[in-house]
Amino acid sequence: MNNTVIDAHNLTRIYDENTIPVYALNSVHLHITKGEFTAIKGPSGSGKTTLLNMLGGLDEPTEGYVNINGTNITQLKGNKLIDFRLNNIGFVFQSYNLIPVLTAQENIEFIMLLQKRPKAEREQRVTELLKEVGLIEKAGKRPGELSGGQQQRVAVARALAPKPQFILADEPTANLDSVSAGNLLDIMAKLNREEKMTFIFSTHDQRVIDRARRVITLEDGKIVSDTTPAPLVHTNS
Amino acid sequence: MLLKIAWRNIWRNKKRSIIIITAVMTGLSAGVFLIAFYNGMIEQRVNTAIQSEISHLQVHHPDFTKDYDINFSLQNGAAILQQVQSNPAVKATTGRIIIKGMIASAAGSSGITINAVIPEQEEAVTHLPGKLISGDYFGAGNKNELLLSQKLLSKLKLKRTKKAILTFQDKDGNITSAAFRIIGIYKTLNTPYDETNVFVKIQDIDSLAGLDSQYNEIAILLHSNKMLKETQSAISLAFPGSTIQPWTEISPEIGLTVSVSEQMVLIFMGIILLALAFGIINTMMMAVLERTREIGMLLALGMDKAKIFRMILMETVLLVAAGCPGGLAIAFIAIAITKRTGISFKKFEEVYASFGYSDVIYPSLDSRQLGLIMLLVVFAAILSALFPALRALRLKPVASMRK
Repeated sequence: MNNTVIDAHNLTRIYDENTIPVYALNSVHLHITKGEFTAIKGPSGSGKTTLLNMLGGLDEPTEGYVNINGTNITQLKGNKLIDFRLNNIGFVFQSYNLIPVLTAQENIEFIMLLQKRPKAEREQRVTELLKEVGLIEKAGKRPGELSGGQQQRVAVARALAPKPQFILADEPTANLDSVSAGNLLDIMAKLNREEKMTFIFSTHDQRVIDRARRVITLEDGKIVSDTTPAPLVHTNS
Repeated sequence: MLLKIAWRNIWRNKKRSIIIITAVMTGLSAGVFLIAFYNGMIEQRVNTAIQSEISHLQVHHPDFTKDYDINFSLQNGAAILQQVQSNPAVKATTGRIIIKGMIASAAGSSGITINAVIPEQEEAVTHLPGKLISGDYFGAGNKNELLLSQKLLSKLKLKRTKKAILTFQDKDGNITSAAFRIIGIYKTLNTPYDETNVFVKIQDIDSLAGLDSQYNEIAILLHSNKMLKETQSAISLAFPGSTIQPWTEISPEIGLTVSVSEQMVLIFMGIILLALAFGIINTMMMAVLERTREIGMLLALGMDKAKIFRMILMETVLLVAAGCPGGLAIAFIAIAITKRTGISFKKFEEVYASFGYSDVIYPSLDSRQLGLIMLLVVFAAILSALFPALRALRLKPVASMRK
């Protein structure tokens, strides 16, 4: 059985092609299978965020392609690409990026509304997810009334809401204190373990790298190391 | 949910939104009131013209109005009058002899229109006795009585009870003169009309002009202006040899004023809404620019461009809609009050009267115009939303989220 979720081939991203070309990514080949808990690390400017953006269909490669579950997303344009992202990819951003005028509950429900899911299903899923991230009592709070850690947990719940193929998390713990970061990683590890949700992080954070089962290191837009998948990390926290 | 987001987004910057809502309220109330004021002026002018001067319809010999030759009188005037009176749309009607002539005193003379009228019928059609500011209306047995305006009285340096000489051509082309005693002074809201019109009894002129009881004008006052065309057609059909003219043809300048009033409404509101639109565009552009990162995130998450467009459109329309009830309420209250009390321009009475307008204006607004204004407001709101919404559509998720 083919468990491949992402197949990225020869991904190259060149900025300022016409003047002095800068290779943000240089011939990157990447294969992600279902249930991975992968960290992409590297120094600033190594191409981590660019790679994540390519995998999420947020940026177009100069060369190469990204295949997600058999769909070449590099060839998708406009609303087809937006629809694909909506139904297949979950995003967690460094600065949470919740909709400030919606409550935690509404932020999570909003994505499913875009998917035109029925009301009953939405309500059930929102409750499940809020319980999962431990924020059921904060359901009616707006982002401004939540701590950074709580906002990031809502962002994770929102990313999970549309039942995506995988979640891309760009420096998810960068703005969090160690307790909040630990809690967030526990939640994501649990989702990975119990629901086989695939997580791909870009990170500098050693706490994330320590919890990952696969670590890809980027330098100057190239993969310089890719660790062998290790057994699942179990945590009691 | 999109509506909820749009509504809540408006209140993210309360001060800015309140300024725009207040601007919409002020602009709308001022615009609606101004239109009601303009309507009031026009309505009064039309009503004055119809009820005091020209009536809804006039019947003439086809050649009479070319140079007001009294030989072109209505041969079957009495029959027309009788038939018209039986028409249920007709409120009142009267026959007249209209002669172009001259009025003279020892001090001077002036060209005038002599309106030879049937006193009782004229009262029902033009309410002439109600316009008397001094003296009396025509009496029963007295001969050669004359009503003229204060303006003409002053010009001829005459006094009430004195006599003036009326001169005109009779049916055979002979110059005829007769002395008429001034028994009353009238005043309408139209100074030029007052300066050129005098009233006498029809039987006094009839014998002088040799018309043998023939009218050369029949004036018809209807119950409602809505019955105008229908009644005109009915009379035209019954008396094909006569010309039946509606007030819009008799007094084309008033007809034109009415016909351009709709365009004036559009122009008034257009100017006000254009000014408002710039304010709204500025506000919404700021809102979009401030939320570049958020819009980028929405695009990244999977909100398609049509929904982004709709969200910005809704925000703009809601912002405008939030100001509408207040603006309309202020305008309605102001119209309701001034409709009762009137807005007096006593200081400019002469100026207004010289154009045939009253110096007290009673604003009025009809539902069709209100609908037109609301359509314009919605149009302006959508137009104002387009620029910021299109700006939002050009955003790319990655570039936007970096900001």
